[in-house]
Amino acid sequence: MNRTTRRQLLSASALVALTGTAFGRSFRNGLPWSPNEAYPPSPITPRAWQFFSPDEVAAVDAIVDRLIPSDDLGAGGREAGCTVFIDRQLAGPYGVHDGLYMDGPFPPNPLPSQGLQSPVTPRQQYRQGLAALSAYCKATYAGRVFASLSHEEQDALLTAMEKGEAKLPGYDGRSLFAAIYANTIEGYFADPVYGGNRDMVGWKLVGFPGTRYDYRDVIDKPNQPYMLPPVAMQGRPAWGQLP
Amino acid sequence: MSARWGWLAGFLLLAGSAWASEDNYVAATRGRALAIAGDCIACHTAPGGVPFAGGLPLETPFGTIMTPNLTPDEATGIGRWTVDDFARAMHEGVRPDGRQLYPAFPYPFYTKVARADVEAIYAYLRTLDPVTSRVDRDTMPFPFNIRAAMSGWNSLFFTPGAFKPDPQRSEEYNRGAYLVEGLGHCGACHTPLNALGANKASQPLQANRINDWTAPNLTNDARLGLGSWSVDEVVTYLRTGRNATGQASGPMGEVIAHSTSQMPVADLRAMAIYLKERGTAGSTAPSPLPASDARMRTGEAIFIDTCSACHTSTGAGIANIFPRLAKNPVVQQDDPATLVRVVLAGARAVATAAAPTAPAMPSLGYRLNDEQVAAVLTYVRNSWGNAAEAVSSADVQRVRKVLVSGK
Repeated sequence: MNRTTRRQLLSASALVALTGTAFGRSFRNGLPWSPNEAYPPSPITPRAWQFFSPDEVAAVDAIVDRLIPSDDLGAGGREAGCTVFIDRQLAGPYGVHDGLYMDGPFPPNPLPSQGLQSPVTPRQQYRQGLAALSAYCKATYAGRVFASLSHEEQDALLTAMEKGEAKLPGYDGRSLFAAIYANTIEGYFADPVYGGNRDMVGWKLVGFPGTRYDYRDVIDKPNQPYMLPPVAMQGRPAWGQLP
Repeated sequence: MSARWGWLAGFLLLAGSAWASEDNYVAATRGRALAIAGDCIACHTAPGGVPFAGGLPLETPFGTIMTPNLTPDEATGIGRWTVDDFARAMHEGVRPDGRQLYPAFPYPFYTKVARADVEAIYAYLRTLDPVTSRVDRDTMPFPFNIRAAMSGWNSLFFTPGAFKPDPQRSEEYNRGAYLVEGLGHCGACHTPLNALGANKASQPLQANRINDWTAPNLTNDARLGLGSWSVDEVVTYLRTGRNATGQASGPMGEVIAHSTSQMPVADLRAMAIYLKERGTAGSTAPSPLPASDARMRTGEAIFIDTCSACHTSTGAGIANIFPRLAKNPVVQQDDPATLVRVVLAGARAVATAAAPTAPAMPSLGYRLNDEQVAAVLTYVRNSWGNAAEAVSSADVQRVRKVLVSGK
C-alpha cells in the first residue's frame, strides 16, 4: 500500500511554504508605479508576409473576400486587411498556441465545455489545411486553385466545407473553415493596430465607437444617434498626423 | 590609560550626549516637528538611505551637490557641531570651519527661523543614531567649486535676519508667514530664479520651473494662484495631498508626504491664511483661443477620445479622484511644463494617511506625438473658462527629451 510518510509530508509542506513566499509580495504606500510606463502593441506595418506563402496569401485573400465581400456598405475582408491580420497572428504567439496547455491526452469526442482538444497549432492548421484545399481544388476543378474559381464555385465549396461535406485530402475541411471564419471576424473587428479593420471599416459598418469607453454624456439620450466617429488605439483622422 | 583619564573620558562622553538626554525630551520633540515643517529629511536622505544621513545628489543648474549627513556621527556627520555652529549654518549659511554653504541649502529662508526653534531642531538631530555616511561635499565643477564666491552671492541676494511679524496682521497670519518664509522655504521652489540661481525678491511665490515641473503661483490670484481655493481647501490639500480640485504628485507630492501631511492642522491653516491674505500677483489672462482654431479642434478630438472618460467632457473631473481641469490654476500656469510631463509620463498622486488611494494617470507619451500633446493641452488651457497661452510642440519636445534621458 502506498502510504505517505511523515518525511514526505514535511518536505511537501516545506516546499509549499517556500513557494508561497516566493510569490508573495507586500506593498506599502500604494501600488508600485513608474513614469512612462506603458505596454503598447507595436503597430503592424504591411511589409513582407511573415507566415503565408504567396499561394496561401492568394487562397486566404479569396476566402476572406467571400466571407465578407466588398459592397456598398464598405470594404471586404481582403481590403480591410484580414489576411494581414491572420498572417501576423500566425507568426506571433497565437500561431503556436503559446500559453495554452498543449500536452495530451486529447479526447477524440470532447465535450463542448472541454474547449480546444487538439495537438494541432494554428500554424499547422493553416499550412496543412490550405495545402489540402489546394490539392482538393486542383483535383476537383481541373487543376485550378481556390483563388481562380468563380465566386459561385468558391461559395459552394466554402458552404460544403462548413457543412463537412467537402472531403479535403487528409484534412478536416470543416475545421479549416471554422478557423478562417473565426479569424476573419477577428481581423475585421479588432483594433487596426493589429493589421485588420483598416481605417476602422468594421467599426464604421456596425457603429462601434472604438476605444472611447465612457458614455455618461449620452447614456441618458436613448433613441438618438451617436454622432462621434470611431477611434482606434492610434487615434482617428481628427487627431491630425498619427504617431 | 590611567584610571583618572578614563574617568575624564567617560565624563566627556556623558557631556557629549547631554543634548540627547531625557532633559531635552521636550525640545527634541518640538525639534522633530520643526524638522518636519522644514522637510529636512527630503534632501538629507539618499534614495533608499538612512533618514538624515545625507548623500542625495541635488541637481542645480550649476552642478550637482551631495547633501551632507545630519546625524550626530563625529567623523562624517555633525557630531562635533555645537549648537552655535548649527545656528550659524542655519542663519548665515556658514560651516564651523568658516567655509560657505551653497544656497541649495535654503539658509536664505532659515535665517528667519527663531533661535529657540533652531536649538530645538539641533536637540532633535542629536537624538538620531549616528550613521557613518561619508559624502563627497566637493562635486561642484569650476568655478562654482570656489565656495568663497558665495560671499559675493550673499552680498547680492542674501538678507540675514530673524523673522519680523507684522503687527497690523493677525497672529495666525504671522505664524503662517513665519512658516512659509522660514522653515517651509516654499519660495525656494515657487519663486522664480534669476540667472545666478537666486529667488527673485521682486516676484515672491509667483511660479517657477524646477526640474521640468512647474511650481505654481501661490499668490491669491484667482486664475493662477490660490484665489479659487478656500482656506479649508488649501489645508485639505496640504494635509491629505488632494482636495476637490486636484491631487498632488511629483515634488509637491513628496513635500506633502514628508512634511505637510504630518504638520499640525493649526500650522497648515496659518500658512493657508498667510498665502491667501498676502496679495495677488501674476500675468494677466490672455484671451482664450476661439474654439474654431485648428489646434483647438484637434485638441478637442483628442480630449474627447483620450481624457474625457476621467476628466469628463466639461472638464469638471470627479471630486477627490480625477482632477478638475476647468478653472484649475495648475492648468493655466504660464509655464506648461507640469502639464506636458503629466500627459507624457503619467503621474501618481501622493498617498497620505488621510487619503491612501493614490490614483494614477496613465502615460500617454507612446500614443500622442508632440503636436498632439500640444494640441490637447492648448485645448484644455483654453476651454471651460480657462485662458492661457497655447502650448507649442517645441515645449513638448523639450520635456520629452528630458523624460527619455531621465535627466
